[in-house]
Amino acid sequence: MAAVKTPRQKVANQLAIAAVIVIAIIFLAPIYWIGSTAFKPRALATTVPPTVLFQPEVTPFVKLFTRRVQLNRPVEPEAYEAAPWWEKRIYDGGERVLRVGEDVQLSGYPDRFLNSLIIAVTSTLLAVSMGTLTAYGFSRFRVAGEQDWLFFILSTRMLPPVVVAIPMFLMYRVVGMTDTHIGLIILYTAFNLSFSVWLMKGFIDEIPKEYEEAALVDGYTRMQAFFKIVLPEAATGIAATAVFCFITAWNEYAFALMLTNRDAQTAPPFIPAQVGSGLTDWTTIAAGTFLFLLPVAIFTFLLRNHLLRGMSFGAIRK
Amino acid sequence: MTDVERNRVVTTVALERLDPRSRAAARGWSDLTIRNMFIIPTIVFLIVFNIFPLLYSLGYSFTDFRASVSAPANFVGLDNYQRLLSDPNIWRNFTVTAKYVIVSVGGQMIVGFGVALLLNRSFPFKGFVTTLLLLPMMMSMAVVGLFWKLLYDPSWGIINYALGLGRFDWLSNPDMALYAVAITDIWMWSPFVMLLSLAGLSAVPKHLYEAAAIDRASNWYTFTHITLPLVSPLLLIALIFRTMEAFKSFDLPFIMSGQPTTEVVAIRLYKMAFQEWQTGLSCALAYIMLIVVIAITNIYVKYLNRVKER
Amino acid sequence: MRIKLTGMLAGIGLALSSGTSVFAQELTIFWAEWDPANYLQELVNEYTAETGVTVRVETTPWADFQTKAFAEFNAHGDAYDMVVGDSQWLGAGSEGGHYVDLTEFFEEHKIAETFVPATVSAYAEYPKASGKYWAVPTEGDANGWAYRKDWFEDPEEMAAFKEKYGYDLDVPKDYQQLRDIAEFFHRPDEGRYGIALYTDNSYDGLIMGVEQTIFTYGGELGDYESFKVQDITNSPENVEALEMYRELYQFTPPNWGKVFFLENNQAITEGLAAMSMNYFAFFPALANPATNPNADATGYFVNPPGPTGAQHAALGGQGLSIVSYSQNQEEAFKFLEWFIQEDVQKKWAELGGYTCHAAVLESEEFRNATPFNEAFYQSMQIVKDFWAVPEYAELLTQMNNRVYPYVVGGDGTAKDALDGLAADWEETFTRYGRLN
Repeated sequence: MAAVKTPRQKVANQLAIAAVIVIAIIFLAPIYWIGSTAFKPRALATTVPPTVLFQPEVTPFVKLFTRRVQLNRPVEPEAYEAAPWWEKRIYDGGERVLRVGEDVQLSGYPDRFLNSLIIAVTSTLLAVSMGTLTAYGFSRFRVAGEQDWLFFILSTRMLPPVVVAIPMFLMYRVVGMTDTHIGLIILYTAFNLSFSVWLMKGFIDEIPKEYEEAALVDGYTRMQAFFKIVLPEAATGIAATAVFCFITAWNEYAFALMLTNRDAQTAPPFIPAQVGSGLTDWTTIAAGTFLFLLPVAIFTFLLRNHLLRGMSFGAIRK
Repeated sequence: MTDVERNRVVTTVALERLDPRSRAAARGWSDLTIRNMFIIPTIVFLIVFNIFPLLYSLGYSFTDFRASVSAPANFVGLDNYQRLLSDPNIWRNFTVTAKYVIVSVGGQMIVGFGVALLLNRSFPFKGFVTTLLLLPMMMSMAVVGLFWKLLYDPSWGIINYALGLGRFDWLSNPDMALYAVAITDIWMWSPFVMLLSLAGLSAVPKHLYEAAAIDRASNWYTFTHITLPLVSPLLLIALIFRTMEAFKSFDLPFIMSGQPTTEVVAIRLYKMAFQEWQTGLSCALAYIMLIVVIAITNIYVKYLNRVKER
Repeated sequence: MRIKLTGMLAGIGLALSSGTSVFAQELTIFWAEWDPANYLQELVNEYTAETGVTVRVETTPWADFQTKAFAEFNAHGDAYDMVVGDSQWLGAGSEGGHYVDLTEFFEEHKIAETFVPATVSAYAEYPKASGKYWAVPTEGDANGWAYRKDWFEDPEEMAAFKEKYGYDLDVPKDYQQLRDIAEFFHRPDEGRYGIALYTDNSYDGLIMGVEQTIFTYGGELGDYESFKVQDITNSPENVEALEMYRELYQFTPPNWGKVFFLENNQAITEGLAAMSMNYFAFFPALANPATNPNADATGYFVNPPGPTGAQHAALGGQGLSIVSYSQNQEEAFKFLEWFIQEDVQKKWAELGGYTCHAAVLESEEFRNATPFNEAFYQSMQIVKDFWAVPEYAELLTQMNNRVYPYVVGGDGTAKDALDGLAADWEETFTRYGRLN
């Protein structure tokens, strides 16, 4: 398709590229809006007409990381003068920082961001490795009732989170796993496993079996053949699967909402809740969203070449 | 590779699949051990963390249990199911859900596949642009819902401003709200369909197109007879995953709109379970929902297997 | 599998070890994420300074406060020693065995006398008029109104209003005037609208606005003692009140179909609406020039009386309860003893909390402390609340389902909606054995 021949095709090609540019702009406009709101002064977040050009500032990020209270009387000038630059920004916004003794209270954001990292990374590793092994098992060996097992594995993804949440909550309570990292890790792993198995099975199916057989003939054990031949061949699929599992675990909202309180709470339920002062502060929410998008976006960009090739589900016949 | 050759490879792979009891690898663990080691943990894991909770809630669905009071659960037989199925509100919830699934998944398939067709050519920064387009699906649904409320706002949102719609009301308008939520869902998840479609398109052998060009086949003919059949298995997989997710969707409609016309089953279920604490009743509703999803998916998967074998 | 098992065991071990290392010197109070919770944290810092007992105020967003709290109660969890719970929770909290009975504590410290009676009945007593108490009134709150003084006092507007309606433009003295003023300022072409109301049906937002109108029209939601609802829930007064709410909805800004306190504050800060319904707890943001460019031009008034002269305000606010599953109940009781003292309550009010302590609330100092404290003081005398039975959330859903399509969608009539609601509630109360 790439080889352009006739002028007509050339024009069509250029039109298509123009369309791609337009579509990309439409798709990215909301993201740009969120990103730009993260650097706006609060008053500019909801203007008529919408503000596109402005002097960016970091106040939303200062607010994102601190616990603040509405000022109910004007701040004393001496206190204002004595305050560091970031605290002045908070005073300017009509709020003050909450302190216990002399300690500035941080908002829940840094802790929850860290929790998100721990939980998403661990559960992704687990889901991808278990998924790869299981997919290999199904792909290479005879398993009685294979289709049924695969459907069973898929069906575990059909459960609405609310359905699972009630019994899980009671069950975790008994073993003391509510509000623990391991509790969410297990849930996210279970949730992602089905996707992982399906994706990896398609991928491993495509790796010619002859490669391993040749290795077995050469004196490799099956495990060696798996690790030295199959895994490197499957790297692309593994990368693609990892991206998807990570995106899902990173953004999961419902379970995090219902099964964690403070120790293991992740960021998604926290970000939309920056409403302490009785007004929606879009800039702070945008700042939280923006920072939270960075890790997953970077991860995806790094693995982008694998992603495109890895998403085949074995549905393509070569 | 011709069709005949391809079919032969597929069948030989299937036939040559190893019998785990054979001692193909005489050294190390036997294949049987390896198979079991690879598969059984996953199955056990899924049974413990998915099936067990399900059995648990199946039991509760036959009782009047309320998790909020200490009173013990009483067995009420099929009362909960009967109450739900005779409640017109629940039927409305299912109708709304069906409409939502059709509109949003339909939109995602069209937009996603359409964009993939446009992208399926070489141009500068292709990989970069493609990845940029994936950004919407990397975000948290809850945050997306919140921000789209800002974008839809008739007073200061950029959507009405950019489209010159004045004070057109999206989310408070009972007739429009479902579509407004679906548009957000389409924005968020078309990239997923696009990605799968691209994977499918890039694997269509070039020589098939060349042959079609030599035969002077029309573009439409090439599309319906070469492109579509080869991409359809992946499209179906995208359809399966998106349908399942859309059927369960909760965050977006919950955060964006309060219209009865957007109250999907998952919202009703959430209210029943976690606001009203009608644990028994909500377990029954969850089961009804589950059966519907499994039935739909089963049809898809059967169809998928048929398409793959074709 | 071995790795996973070890991981799980490690997790369980971790959970157990953190569970056993409970310091008696630490108390945790659970509340929603908003300013009063931060004020409370500042207040309890003083308790820590006096006694060495650390008190932490844990917060969660309003949207999942109820869910979180009850999830913890229902699991009999001891993560929270005390909870500042909604008034409607009293039934579920007491009948469910989640709250510690404070009746003796109330008698010993004469709380029913030192706190405003309406708040004691609203935040503490269940069942109503039983003399059994479950919470210390902590954050009093009611639904009031904010309005744009500058619009109301503009001479041109005043003349035009007088011409059109035949009386002076001023703070509305009844609901008819409220409606007229809303209509008068409703000018979509100018981007100005008459009034901001609650319409959020995901929990109790819309219901608070509607019930306030119903009470003000002389109606009741039902008989809170006998649970009779027929001809009370769907009485002519209630139908009239609901029709009024629907009419007022016509004068709201565009896209006002799922809004609650945040959007209603925004209606004032963004100059959208002439009047806006909101809880007093959210008014500090409106009085603050940094968050409200119109702060100096914003006034506040008590919910006006209805056609019969009845005047009521929907109750907000919460009471502080001790959780039955807490390991530190003794410490919690000590904390409550400290909290109810007059000077602590005074300090609480100074920090920005809405005390329910009668002497503090009545003091001139309190009533003049902010532009809205006087209106708050008056509103607290006329508060009325929703049902507080354990199944209140089901009643909320049923009311949302009946009322929302009429108010926001214009479906059917007010009479149909309330007839349907009476039938729903009757069925629910019968199912729970409250009604034969």
